[in-house]
Amino acid sequence: MTRPILEADRLTKRYGSHVALDDVSFTIGEGVTGLLGENGAGKSTSIKAFLGLVRPTSGAARVLGEEAHTSLAVRSRLGYMPEHDCLPSQVSAAEFLTHMAELSGLPPSVARTRAADTLRHTGLFEERYRAIGGYSTGMKQRVKLAQALVHDPAFVFLDEPTAGLDPVGREEMLTLVRKTYREFGISVLISSHLMADVERCCDRILVMRGGRVEHAGEVGQFTRETEAVFIEVDANRERLVTALERRGVRVVPDAGGLVIEGPDESVYDHVRDALVEAEAPLRRMAPRRHVLTELFEREEAA
Amino acid sequence: MSEARTGVAGTTGTVFDIGYQRYTGVREGRGRSRLALYRNGLRIALGLGRGPRAKALPFFFIGVLSAIGLVMAIVAGAANRLAGPGAAERANLPSHVDYYGIASIILFVFAAVVAPELLCRDRREGTINLYLVRPLTGTDYVATRWAAFLTVLTAAAWLPQVVLWLGLSMGDPAPLAYIRDHWLDVPRFLLAGLAMAAYTTTVALLTASFTTRRAYASVFLVGLFVITTPFTAGLAEELDGAAGQWLSMFNLTNIPLHVNDVLFGQTSELTEDAPARTLSAAVRVGWFFAWTLIPAAALWGRYRRLSP
Repeated sequence: MTRPILEADRLTKRYGSHVALDDVSFTIGEGVTGLLGENGAGKSTSIKAFLGLVRPTSGAARVLGEEAHTSLAVRSRLGYMPEHDCLPSQVSAAEFLTHMAELSGLPPSVARTRAADTLRHTGLFEERYRAIGGYSTGMKQRVKLAQALVHDPAFVFLDEPTAGLDPVGREEMLTLVRKTYREFGISVLISSHLMADVERCCDRILVMRGGRVEHAGEVGQFTRETEAVFIEVDANRERLVTALERRGVRVVPDAGGLVIEGPDESVYDHVRDALVEAEAPLRRMAPRRHVLTELFEREEAA
Repeated sequence: MSEARTGVAGTTGTVFDIGYQRYTGVREGRGRSRLALYRNGLRIALGLGRGPRAKALPFFFIGVLSAIGLVMAIVAGAANRLAGPGAAERANLPSHVDYYGIASIILFVFAAVVAPELLCRDRREGTINLYLVRPLTGTDYVATRWAAFLTVLTAAAWLPQVVLWLGLSMGDPAPLAYIRDHWLDVPRFLLAGLAMAAYTTTVALLTASFTTRRAYASVFLVGLFVITTPFTAGLAEELDGAAGQWLSMFNLTNIPLHVNDVLFGQTSELTEDAPARTLSAAVRVGWFFAWTLIPAAALWGRYRRLSP
């Protein structure tokens, strides 16, 4: 873990009798961090606390070493991409980004240059003089990301960055998010409901529930290999199950494939023979990994 | 770093993609943010950087207001040229004291149509959520929007008066004598125009702050100014004494015009029949401040604690 950029120190936020954040302490450093949790878990309140938009009931939310709710200046080093619509329909992306850069304190000439550069990096350079109202959903998401980056923040908050995108648009957005840290050097906090997005993008995750931090750590720690083997075939899956069961191998269907729990070495011979017998073309056989969804499934079961 | 080479008619150009560049220059802070928001407000009010339809309305109103000033200047100037110095005054032709009364309804409709654009769209489209995570507060936002529209409306109010002043000065057979005798009209119409713009801006923006739909705010404001004026004026004439005077004070169109009358020391064509004209100058000016400062405080109250 590198030096912390965000620091919650016994942070509590109450709205009347409702406790949105309950004495939470954590730090977030450089890299891409995923903030996971159900609705009402405290994700949005945490982000608002770090953006200085809510005053903590007790404790502190610090950004780059400064108290977020007392320092307006620190906001010029932060970027925020909201989940919901926030773009003016009548102006061009170039004009809008220039304006947003100036709002973060950049001189006008620099703001213009950075707006053009940022639009190039987010793949909107050719369309920069068109009114935003005519953009597709994917392009609008890119403009939302671009406005969060245009003033070169030290840290950027992305709230559901892939919301409403088709698979291609989602893939492009996730690539941009990864680029934001790896190529631009801007650290990211992604708040998302989509575990797959977080697994693919993030180095660390923070799982919140009921205003508290439930889990925190490296993504790899939660998605490590299990004792099970995952098998995926292109056809004849049912015949393969029958063939494996006839050989005394217990299989469990999972996510379009088959899982064999805790196999010993002899199982691999059985799998080979069963594949031949069932005439099932093998696509993939690999150690099964945990997925982040299991964190929530385990808690719900408990 | 990637590199691309192109050759055109024997020349070779090289384009380098130098990748993402960090910004290490100066960040000018909250002052720059406020200035940017103020300039953006001016551009919205005038439709600059937007399509032709966005420009049409503001420039139409500014054109009509200026045309009124120009016509008044031409008529008064011609009278002075043809019938000698002071002929326009003797013929009681409309002048600086009357202009805001004549143009007030156009100024109000201008504000009703354009001012909501500064607030309603930001809330409806959610752009305000992006402003409030910048180094700005809700107070900065609403104050700069108010200042931007005040600037536009003040300019729209002053421009025809300046045209009229130039027309009357140039139209007079003795321009220097006219300027010497009437120089006080300039600070008077500047102050009266500022009062007119401040009141109109505040009431229009307060109304706009209650809705995300520009059309609702515009229709409400036009109704407020256009419909209540004949109603209060007619009813006030029916009532005698203090009741009539105070009912007349609720004629929303006349509130800034009373300040105009106090500044010029005479009543304009629009207020010469209003029972409120006989109230003291302090009451009329105080009434104007109450109708400007209380809506301003309400407007500030609606935005100061705003967060996304």
